[in-house]
Amino acid sequence: MAETLTKNHEILEGPQAPRQSRFVQQFRLFKENRLAVVGLVIFLAFFITAVAGVVLTSGQDPVFNPSLVRLQEKLQPPLSLPNLETLKAHEVPTLGIYLLGTDDLGRDVFARMLQGAWVSLTVGFVAVGIAVIVGIFLGGLAGYYGQEGICYDQILDFLLLLSGIIFFILKWHKLGFGLFTAGIFMMILSFRARRVKQNRFMPGWLHKSAFSFDTLIMRMVDIMLCFPSFFLILTVVALLPASIYNIMIVIGLTSWMGTTRFVRAEFLSLREQDFVSAAKALGLGNFRIIFRHMMPNAVAPVLVSATIGIATAILTEAGLSFLGFGVPPPYATWGNILSDGKRFIFDAPWLTFVPGIAILIVVLCFNLFGEGLKDALNPKLRQE
Amino acid sequence: MFSFIGRSIVQKTITLFFVSVVSFLIIHLAPGEPSQIDPMNPKFTPEMVERFRTQFHLDKPLYVQYVYFYRDLFTGKIVSWKDNQSVLAKIWERFLNSLPLFIVGTLLTWTLSFPVGIRSAIYRGGVYDRSATFFSYLLISIPGFFFAYILIILVVTAFHVPVIGMETYGMGNAPWPNLFMDRIWHLLIPSALGATAGIAVLSRYVRSQMLEVEGQDYVRTAKAKGLPPDQVHYKHALRNALLPFVTMFGLILPGLIGGSVIIESIFSWPGMGRMAYEAILARDYPIILTVNFLSAVLVLAGTFLSDLLYLVVDPRIRL
Amino acid sequence: MTTKRFLILVPAIIILFLLQSYLWVPTYEEQTKGNPNRLNEYVTASLGDATLLNPVLSANSASSQIESMVFEGLIDYDEELRFRGRLATSWKVFEEAYFYVNDQAKISYGEAPDVRALVRLLENAKKNSTAFPPKVAGSLNRIESIILLPPEDSTVVKELKATDSEPKPDAVKIHVGAPARIKLVLSEVDQDLFNNLSVILGNDYFSTFDPAKFVTAESPIAETTLSTWAKEILPATEHNPVLIFNLRPNVKFHDGYPFDADDVLFTYEAIMNPKNLSPRVSDYEPVKSVEVLDPLKIRIVYKRLYSPAISTWGMGILPEHLLNAKALKKEAQALGKDPEAFSMRQSRFNRQPVGCGPFTFQEWKSDQFISLNAFEDYWEGPPNYKRYVMRIIPDLLTQEMEFYAGTLDSYNVQPHQVERLKDDPRFQSFSGTSFGYTFIGYNMLRPPFDDVRVRKALGMAIDVNKIIDYVLYGQGENITGPFVKQTDYYNHRIPPLPYDPQGALKLLAEAGFKRNKEGWLERDGKPLQFTLITNSGNDIRKAVLTIAQNAWRQIGIDVRTDLLEWSVFIRERVDKKDFDALVLGWQMPITPDLYQVWHSSQTHPYQLNFVSFKNERADQLIIKIRREYNHAKQVAYCHELHKIIAHEQPYTFLFVGKWMAVLDKRVVIKDIGEDGNMLYKKIKPTKTGSYTFHFNKWIKVPDMPQMTTEGW
Repeated sequence: MAETLTKNHEILEGPQAPRQSRFVQQFRLFKENRLAVVGLVIFLAFFITAVAGVVLTSGQDPVFNPSLVRLQEKLQPPLSLPNLETLKAHEVPTLGIYLLGTDDLGRDVFARMLQGAWVSLTVGFVAVGIAVIVGIFLGGLAGYYGQEGICYDQILDFLLLLSGIIFFILKWHKLGFGLFTAGIFMMILSFRARRVKQNRFMPGWLHKSAFSFDTLIMRMVDIMLCFPSFFLILTVVALLPASIYNIMIVIGLTSWMGTTRFVRAEFLSLREQDFVSAAKALGLGNFRIIFRHMMPNAVAPVLVSATIGIATAILTEAGLSFLGFGVPPPYATWGNILSDGKRFIFDAPWLTFVPGIAILIVVLCFNLFGEGLKDALNPKLRQE
Repeated sequence: MFSFIGRSIVQKTITLFFVSVVSFLIIHLAPGEPSQIDPMNPKFTPEMVERFRTQFHLDKPLYVQYVYFYRDLFTGKIVSWKDNQSVLAKIWERFLNSLPLFIVGTLLTWTLSFPVGIRSAIYRGGVYDRSATFFSYLLISIPGFFFAYILIILVVTAFHVPVIGMETYGMGNAPWPNLFMDRIWHLLIPSALGATAGIAVLSRYVRSQMLEVEGQDYVRTAKAKGLPPDQVHYKHALRNALLPFVTMFGLILPGLIGGSVIIESIFSWPGMGRMAYEAILARDYPIILTVNFLSAVLVLAGTFLSDLLYLVVDPRIRL
Repeated sequence: MTTKRFLILVPAIIILFLLQSYLWVPTYEEQTKGNPNRLNEYVTASLGDATLLNPVLSANSASSQIESMVFEGLIDYDEELRFRGRLATSWKVFEEAYFYVNDQAKISYGEAPDVRALVRLLENAKKNSTAFPPKVAGSLNRIESIILLPPEDSTVVKELKATDSEPKPDAVKIHVGAPARIKLVLSEVDQDLFNNLSVILGNDYFSTFDPAKFVTAESPIAETTLSTWAKEILPATEHNPVLIFNLRPNVKFHDGYPFDADDVLFTYEAIMNPKNLSPRVSDYEPVKSVEVLDPLKIRIVYKRLYSPAISTWGMGILPEHLLNAKALKKEAQALGKDPEAFSMRQSRFNRQPVGCGPFTFQEWKSDQFISLNAFEDYWEGPPNYKRYVMRIIPDLLTQEMEFYAGTLDSYNVQPHQVERLKDDPRFQSFSGTSFGYTFIGYNMLRPPFDDVRVRKALGMAIDVNKIIDYVLYGQGENITGPFVKQTDYYNHRIPPLPYDPQGALKLLAEAGFKRNKEGWLERDGKPLQFTLITNSGNDIRKAVLTIAQNAWRQIGIDVRTDLLEWSVFIRERVDKKDFDALVLGWQMPITPDLYQVWHSSQTHPYQLNFVSFKNERADQLIIKIRREYNHAKQVAYCHELHKIIAHEQPYTFLFVGKWMAVLDKRVVIKDIGEDGNMLYKKIKPTKTGSYTFHFNKWIKVPDMPQMTTEGW
């Protein structure tokens, strides 16, 4: 039996056999990286915990109540039993034991960690989601339309509209409105001027390109890269009212530059490839080409940077929490459980170590998983 | 060559202008006011608040404030709202404090990462490589402040020596070697913390760059010639792998400001990052904006420098 | 090869060099044993840095901590919270009262007399004071002299209020032909003087005085405006309390320059100078004039009755010779700055202050430390410590670590740390009631908080004692009203709200709230639902927020919570009164002036009565307390006001926290006893709860001193 199997195997790998599909090959490569597999497994476990956490800790009467205060049971070490004499029936922890101890207000750390898992995960995913969407969009545009110029009339148009809006905000309504309508009028004019071959509406130099689209986007990237990222996030988060949405948006909007660069580079090389030319020759629309044909081929490095980005976002949130600008209550995140707990590091070390180690493990898994993914997707390594 | 330099200076100036506008808008459009105007202090009457606003030009339209601010910045007259100290003098003082941390951290990072990364690349997939990978990711993944606290508590409870700040207070008139060594001791933990994270990241880069290069023909040739392995790796391979690091080296300067907020707060190290953080808390706009502006200048100068270095190092680039 | 060796050797050497430095660093024990100088230094910690070391300009806690060491005020509070002379040796308070002669009014027994007859009338009344009711007699007996001031002509320039149509205010010249006026000098301040005099002069003598007919405007203006101005210019009656300080002779500033009354005058003028933007202006706004009588005597006249005024003279006195216009001009010229625009705010004095306090300024490194040296010529004798250092450490946990490492003598200790450290043989710990209380305030403009039963019920649902026991580890006390608990003003007879959730439900039921199917309380189909907010960065308030939310949810109130960054919290929510309920704390002054926080005139946006507490009797009492200079009467008014506020429950008064301190046991009081021998005593907090009261006598000794039991 064994012999035939090996034989079959050999035949499959023989030159006549169809090559393994790319995905299978990648998966095989990925599997070889044991650390990455462990990373993936823990990542999945974390994901399931987070989902279970949100189900079990929300609602009017949750299974695990993360916000139930039992002052007399404060700072109980992990695995300690509740004192049933002083607790009312509904105050007894669901498992009959404080699995991870209680915090300074007697809340069950296990329940809080469960709830925090979901929030931490959401912060990571949404922030990276924003970064990836912005990054793919701008990077795709820059890579695909790269060479196409922006004409002077378009710049003028944009400036008119923008200054119109700014003046409007500054309460100079009349001027703002005037500029804004002028901008719209101009837009229609230049649009018509483009359609009509014999252009009588505008002087020709307005249609000369000033700089390319690519330049514009890459300069935007340069501007964003000029800010030290943590400092920028801190400034914005400190100045804005604290809310979980602000934190996700701010982290997202300050970390799209890497993705943009990746996607742009991929697109620049993909654009020259035959399948894109073929698609163009078939007369497919630009957006269809970008999103249906080119994007799937460019997504690999994005995926890797997104995985690592989630890890970074979770760490950033923890850092912000430490400085007092993290996600505000009632949301528990691992970051703010950790930074709240550090006050009691001598009295209740578990308040620091439980979330600290949890963050460490999850972030580590994301990173290892990302690293494995990178290796698996790397065409150079695939050929070996 | 000169046209390249000229073009890139113009380009960077324009970028800098936009950075200045964006950072100005971010700060001034956010709610909240400088803490000097503390409305919950019963002693501040509305008239007082008004007077403060006038003194800080907060009652003027935004673009006027912008012009005032950058005029003061370029003439060096800009003062902090918190204590009326010259911002540039303050930043210089803090810069000098941050410098030792930065130098020790950078030195450690930019030396130790190479042997670690190269060894990983040579024995790719081996036990050393895998444990190095694991440990470097472990160091990247640990929340910085968590790590710092654990270290501080270990050292203080085990050795009963002070670690916070730049020096031990109350040494009085101890002989100078003691004072000097005391300062060195206070440098140890924060710079080691910075360096471990740096080494973790950089050694990964070194590893992947070396992997790219190790497969090249000239390395194989060198190996085939029977050169000692160290010479192959550290001479032939490393030199060719170095190119991308030129870019990274240009970008370490800005790390002086942004990277150290948390470490400096924990160790109450009076450096740039901490000053910037305190300024954010106090909404001391002149300091926030100046720090932001300077770091943008540093980033742009860094990229400019690395572009130039590229020109020098890489013979393939000709302009 | 060499590259590899280089790349490994360099970091190895650096690391070894860094590690060996450990051998040079002193440990906790070595710091005291091996280094006698360390014993003469007191190192303390602050979370934030100082801003300006000038008592006139700054109002934050880190700055005032240093200022209290470097500067000295005229007076301060003693162990019993009574005033105690510092730069002033003694002081006297009396009153000068004025009223205009009203020729319209009829005196109770006949026609309006001429001016001289009026004076005679008062003099006679004073002579026969026993004929009047005791209150009136009291007022008459306080009159020391009656002086007649002749009519007087003057011109006043007033500005019309700017309107939308005319943004620039118009100046109007007004001629005033003031009638004769009578000045009464009183031995002590008497806010009821004119009430009592109207028994003699007729009930409407003061109210019918019509100032409008004595003024004429140069340009035509509205009659109503003119008559309001006339009332301002010629008030029918006027109280002018007078304060005379006798100053301590032979006091020197740190630079050796003698201190005198001109410095006091200068400090006052510096506060009032609009260029300085002093946050203390409102304290001194009631001052009418400050006059130097002789180098050691100064006289301050107030525009109106304002009893908290005396305490404002605890403010540090600035040296005139370093900050007057001449000195500032010289400094501006030396720095090449425009002398016109150069004010005290820009002066380098604020970073190297000179005062006449027990410590002289030595060095300030921003965000590192501020160090002070003992002032050998301090008038009360130099302090025992030779050096005082305030380190700036922004993190509570690292402060604690530095304390263990021996490089801090005291730090901002937290309740749970006191709990842990109080039995440690190395340390001694203190605590005492502080001046600040924490409360939950309700926006009384929003239903259902307009109903006192709801406010009371919400308070009854919270177990304050549990908060004190578990969150504060016993480092707190109940409080029932807005007065400092250790003063007489606080009414101890008022019982705290009981913790009684059932009673709370009953009260809510009375107010119309019933439980619905889901278990939430609702009234007319609308659930009882609101948001409780506080500022971020304060762990105790955050805990209170969570506990209150939990407690209210238990009785069926759907409470949301929100934590906001301080300036957003204040600007967007408190100032604009956009909140349902909030957790906040007040730091109380010892003087019982509640005007800004509790008077109904202070309920507008941006004012401090943000809960919109309005109570007619309370308003009257607040004004009376402000005007009363007699301690016993003030106490009586305060007790009544306290009762009203406790009854109305505009706040749920939670607790007054305790200040806490942990010190090394070797820090003791060193003093010279009556027999002339050195005497070591254990540090003990004073009755009113200040352990640093005798700070100047503190010292750290190398070994636990042998103290006789008497000293303990």
